Amino acid sequence: NEEDEAAERESNVSTYDKVVDLLNQASLLQRDSDKIRNLRQVQELIIHKDPTLLDNFLDEMIAFISDRSVDVKKFVTGFFEEACKKDKEVLSKVLPCFGILLADDNVNVKKKVILTLTNVFKYIIQWLSKAKTTTPEMTAVWDNIHKIKQQVFELLESNNDGIRTHVVKFLEGVVLVLSKRSTDSLIPKNQEEDITLDQIQDGNKYLKIKKLEEDGQNTFVMLLQFQASPHISSINLMTVMGALTNIAKQRPIFLDQVVQGLEALHVNLPPTLAKSQVNSVRKNLKMQMLALLKHPASVDYLTQITTLLTDLGASQSEINRNMPKMDESRKRKL
Amino acid sequence: MTGDLKVAVVCSSNQNRSMEAHNFLSKKGFRVRSFGTGTQVKLPGPSPDKPNNYDFSITYDEMFNDLSQKDPELYTQNGILHMLDRNRRIKPRPERFQNCFERFDIIVTCEERVYDQVIEDLETREKSGGQAVHIINVDIQDNHEEATIGAFMICELVAMLLMSEDLDNDVDEIVQEFETQTKRTILHTMAFY
Repeated sequence: NEEDEAAERESNVSTYDKVVDLLNQASLLQRDSDKIRNLRQVQELIIHKDPTLLDNFLDEMIAFISDRSVDVKKFVTGFFEEACKKDKEVLSKVLPCFGILLADDNVNVKKKVILTLTNVFKYIIQWLSKAKTTTPEMTAVWDNIHKIKQQVFELLESNNDGIRTHVVKFLEGVVLVLSKRSTDSLIPKNQEEDITLDQIQDGNKYLKIKKLEEDGQNTFVMLLQFQASPHISSINLMTVMGALTNIAKQRPIFLDQVVQGLEALHVNLPPTLAKSQVNSVRKNLKMQMLALLKHPASVDYLTQITTLLTDLGASQSEINRNMPKMDESRKRKL
Repeated sequence: MTGDLKVAVVCSSNQNRSMEAHNFLSKKGFRVRSFGTGTQVKLPGPSPDKPNNYDFSITYDEMFNDLSQKDPELYTQNGILHMLDRNRRIKPRPERFQNCFERFDIIVTCEERVYDQVIEDLETREKSGGQAVHIINVDIQDNHEEATIGAFMICELVAMLLMSEDLDNDVDEIVQEFETQTKRTILHTMAFY
């Protein structure tokens, strides 16, 4: 009724004024923590309370990417992710910002951007999967994400250990999007809604499934090769082992190559690792192998996995406890 | 210096090793919390096969009163009452790591079994955001003397880690340097929230 509408209009006006006020203050505040507190309130107001205001204030938020503070830049990166999640239409405006922030001098900004891009990549594919026709905005986003993805891939060669670690997590995310789920995929609950290639219909203007699947496989191979690189650091190594195990559990089509890769690693650990790092890596390898053993699809690789586990010092009872539960049809096949 | 990093120290019962380190670290001004990973809080009893087991919900104060009643002489002499008295001044009750959903930058564990439990717990949690956390194990025997030495070492390690401008990049080197200094074997890995 009219009264409600009037009340709603008034509340919208006051939200608008409040956002203006918070943003004005934020640009004057000296302390980073105060600035971020204001921006966090703006985020709450324009993404959650009244998303119709998001478009109004997006440019003002974008302006903060040139703030001198690392924490402010990290905060706005997180804001952009939330904004894209809420409203895919902002992608065309926000994506170039990720490109700029990725080139930031500060490693912590870079790492935050890489982490965020894993989700943003998903949102882009999700958005484009619904495209009935092409639009200039979509085309620009699609071209731009290719460039940004390539920039991130190149950072796998970075001199900075932490950046490489984050790139590995990004690659893991890309492989999971650019592949198809199967009946024996084990999907973590909060990733059930994520977009994957099996959800995309043939004939999409932007997303050519065959080509994307190939991209996904190439990205997977990058991870395998990274794992096999001779001078890899122990932390990078454990991260990539974990990433490959996650992929194998969610996409058993890759299980064969992951098991082979881990077998090869076991007999050929990087010579650069210190003794205690070897202990940490072997312990981690054992944990990943036990996780793979539990997976129903591991029945086809039982000998390899259990041999490797025995070599890594797993006891028979530990192995038995983690044996996959076989269903009847599979048992019969064996 | 990354002084705002959040540190957790974890042992089995959140009584001796993690609390000694918690005490040390908070006195130095670090942002620290402490935890246990056991299913119950275990304290020594009249004989090795008769430990005192408590639920994590019981306060240090209640344990203190319980043991003061049971055998004040024994628990004074073996230092348990003194320890509980120290603990109740730091926080009300032991906390179980598996029930805490705060995110940390560094988790230091005091024995390999606890390190395994922490990793297992983090692995089974639902991921969101992907923030990285370093998990580092320093083996410390569960007695008063070792806990004091251990707390001192953990404090050194945390101070070295927090001095770094870029922890993810420097951690490997710092951990190795710490190993050489202390002549202890350290386990170290990374997990993602």
